[in-house]
Amino acid sequence: MILRRLAALLFVPLMVAFGSGVYLYLGTLKSKVVKERPQLPTVTKPKFILPGTMFVVQDGRLFKLNAGSFTEIGRAGDWSQPALTPDHKRLVAVLRAGASSDLYLLDLNGQVVKRLTKDDSKILDANHWAYYPRVSPDGASLFYSFDSPKLRSNAPGVDLSVWSMPLNGAQSQARRWTDPYWYTGGDVSPIPLAGGAILYVRHSIDNSTAVHAQIFYQSRLLSVGKPLTSAADDCSQPALSPDGTQVAMVCSHGKQTASLEIAPFNGSALGPASVVLEGGLYASPAWSPDGKALAYLAPAGAAGHFQLWYLALPQPAPSPTATSSPSVAASPGSTPRPTPRPTPTPGPPAPVQVTQGVDLTATSPPAWF
Amino acid sequence: MRLAVLTILCLALSGVAGVAAYFFPVVVAGVGQTGQTVVVPPVNILGVKTTPKPAASPGAPFTVLLLGSDDDGKNKSPLTQSMILVRVEPASKHVTMLSIPRDLWVPLSTGGSAKIDAAYAYGGASAAIATVERNFHVHIDEYAWVGLTGLIKLIDQLGGIDLFVTNPVLDDFYPDDIGGGDLYGYKRVAVLPGAQHLDGASALQYVRSRHNDVNGDFGRSARQQQVLLAIKAKASTLNAADLPDIVNALSGRFKTSMGLDRVRSLLSVASAFDLANVNQVVLYVPNFSSYGQISGQSVLLPHWSQILAVTRANFP
Repeated sequence: MILRRLAALLFVPLMVAFGSGVYLYLGTLKSKVVKERPQLPTVTKPKFILPGTMFVVQDGRLFKLNAGSFTEIGRAGDWSQPALTPDHKRLVAVLRAGASSDLYLLDLNGQVVKRLTKDDSKILDANHWAYYPRVSPDGASLFYSFDSPKLRSNAPGVDLSVWSMPLNGAQSQARRWTDPYWYTGGDVSPIPLAGGAILYVRHSIDNSTAVHAQIFYQSRLLSVGKPLTSAADDCSQPALSPDGTQVAMVCSHGKQTASLEIAPFNGSALGPASVVLEGGLYASPAWSPDGKALAYLAPAGAAGHFQLWYLALPQPAPSPTATSSPSVAASPGSTPRPTPRPTPTPGPPAPVQVTQGVDLTATSPPAWF
Repeated sequence: MRLAVLTILCLALSGVAGVAAYFFPVVVAGVGQTGQTVVVPPVNILGVKTTPKPAASPGAPFTVLLLGSDDDGKNKSPLTQSMILVRVEPASKHVTMLSIPRDLWVPLSTGGSAKIDAAYAYGGASAAIATVERNFHVHIDEYAWVGLTGLIKLIDQLGGIDLFVTNPVLDDFYPDDIGGGDLYGYKRVAVLPGAQHLDGASALQYVRSRHNDVNGDFGRSARQQQVLLAIKAKASTLNAADLPDIVNALSGRFKTSMGLDRVRSLLSVASAFDLANVNQVVLYVPNFSSYGQISGQSVLLPHWSQILAVTRANFP
């Protein structure tokens, strides 16, 4: 009798332990999308070492990627869209604070050198957004998208126009370059060109009320822009190659997926585009410093967070010496290097996933030099 | 021998208890939030008499009315911010989504005429179903309602969604009624264009903003369908072990007439179909309606002949 009671007493904790074990085991069977949460870039190891230095953004934090490791830079805040000055000694980045966003000049360690705009107001709709900063090739002017003027009517309009101001000047010197198509969100992603003109993305609406994105060329302040891509192609997020002869862009063709395309550029017009990747959620292409590769952001795996990818581009006249992984060889302090290298072989380019487990902000193009 | 049998029996019992404990929230939700009984009153609107159809057999096509509304306590009987008719064909994995504009001026099943978003406020799900059935000449098999905070929690539980934002969505007068803000206040939102990952709050801003959209409420309807498809894409990777977390996230913010069997068959369709098999319909002005003013309200006046042609073609 005593033995039975003892056995029963022993069974109770055994049953509790087993039942709890089953409960916990079921918890481990959760799918990746529910279980996995992104990590900070600084606790991850890139799978591939990029040449040069790159600045990316995750969850409002700026990160510098150099020699295969991430470092967080700058003070806390909701930072995005870092862009380099032509001398590669400064960054201009967006700091969002509640109902407004401002542009700041930073050093390469993220320390604020100067606040460039003041867009906040106590009156809600007197606040402004400033996004997509880019410095002109001569380093004198800052181009950006800014939601002014606003339409005040029964249907208030908040649309971005392209503006410019002296980088060393004041916001009061800013001038509006473009007149947006109202109620589409407006004009974004300006790229100042060497001759003083700009490329930018204009949103417009067609007769069937569909909204389209087109890359436009505009030679001077408030002149009529010239479309470089068709409305049906829905091309946006242009990135100009370092030598200024090619434009990489993302084209959705009215679909929910996009293609990554490259077109030759003669300074005022685009040639026929070639598709380098298609059928994915590609975002924010950026050229490598030598112009022979692209970095871009796209989801990886079921969890879907955006990762950094590298794509070596096929060269027009390939030769064994000219295409032998120059970007990898240029990585400083990166030996030994057990990471995979892009193979510069003829045929379709193969993207290489650089990061894993992070959640980079896809609307912030990498700044790379 | 007896001890061995007893041990196995006890372990089996404790294992079952562990499984039961794990799925307890699902069972509670299954009882409380699914299988909601809806009685559609036999009211004749527009001279159209609908006859009840028998319940769809398993595997047969069925139509669900998706309803989304505030659940912030601002109104005891909230208006629907979103009404989407979804026809699911399990055999062909084909799905049709038709967004019903919230400002559409229609006769309500509860009497009188009003914007269609008032149907749910006046008579709950049954009135919303009856109003849609009789005006659009469709048979609705099921409904599902989700509150705005439920949508945020669901998307966050899924780890966010990925989608391609066509153009900037900027709004200076976005309702600041979620997360303890001023229920009647506003805030500014900006969702930038391009492919991106959205958390629940950002996704809600994307589907709810309408002040700066050239297509007004229609643009919002298209964005709602886009987010639904993104949720579907994410949900297709879920498995049974995820259900308790999902159910906890939606606790009290989700109601449906669907039983667990139908939810299961819907999930299996979701995991198998692709975007190419999705037909998206938005009833844009001027083809399907025109702008008007009734009793000082801006409304959409339906062009029934065009609307019914579309519903006949897509919701047989």
